[in-house]
Amino acid sequence: MSTALNLSHEPLTKIPHGKMAMWAFLASELMFFSGFFGAFIVLRNSNYDIFGQGSNHLNWMLALVNTFILIGSSLTMALSIYHLEKKNTGMFRLFMGLTILGAFGFLIVKYFEYSAKFADGLFPGQEHHTVFYSFYFLMTGFHALHVIGGMIPMFYIFMKSYSKNGYPYPHKVETLGLYWHFVDLMWIFIFPALYLMIPYHGAAAH
Amino acid sequence: MSHDHGNVVPSYMKVFYALLTLTVLTVVAAKMLHFPPHWGTPGDVLHVAIGILIAVVKVIAVMYIFMHLKFDTPFLRFFVYVPVFLFFVMSFGLNFLEDWSYIK
Repeated sequence: MSTALNLSHEPLTKIPHGKMAMWAFLASELMFFSGFFGAFIVLRNSNYDIFGQGSNHLNWMLALVNTFILIGSSLTMALSIYHLEKKNTGMFRLFMGLTILGAFGFLIVKYFEYSAKFADGLFPGQEHHTVFYSFYFLMTGFHALHVIGGMIPMFYIFMKSYSKNGYPYPHKVETLGLYWHFVDLMWIFIFPALYLMIPYHGAAAH
Repeated sequence: MSHDHGNVVPSYMKVFYALLTLTVLTVVAAKMLHFPPHWGTPGDVLHVAIGILIAVVKVIAVMYIFMHLKFDTPFLRFFVYVPVFLFFVMSFGLNFLEDWSYIK
């Protein structure tokens, strides 16, 4: 007879290990992005015209579409967790599938946005590149990597849900959901910071 | 552990609609809200402050409802508040250390 301890929860905090670990990871991620935001704000205020001109050149409509996509995928992720907890496998698959589609849609929009910037010679090392575009590619690029990082386990769980026993671990999906909502949270700050909140008064930047 | 929070779907939908509305509000504030040019830097600061304020409201809604912080223990909430506080200090605190003397 096994005498192994049940260590699925921390006895003092009553918080599942996986959930606690994910929050700790997200805390470190927050520090990671705060370095970007801090440097961005200081450089923005000391290179106002360059940042204003760069921001003015960005396609905020595409970014707005991506914002709606991420908000929608946050909702579908929350609904997928809810239905898995209720053991409603069909609805879980539907909402998890929609979340994956949302992530994929976000990357497609991002592809079109990046393509336009490459064509305009705004990538680092190209003709019209400025420090603003360094931040633009750094912040949105790392964010897009996080989107890809979320898609991989979501796709794995989605495929596992079609196995004989389905996917019987709602707490793991809830932990993944925390990560996905964090990706949404970071975009909530990136979108206005890069695309909207730098009024451009038309001064020469170069 | 899976928690039973009852029927949370109406709360999710409310947050979803609130996020969409606040996003539109962010765009409207950025594109249509123009302060008099003679306000100068304070006008721009106000512009940014409105955007940040809306973003903070959106973040609180997502964290409390979608991320279930509302249902979590006070310990976990405290565990989350610390890095969130540091995020704001690191992101915006540097601004207060500058004297912006090089800005005309």
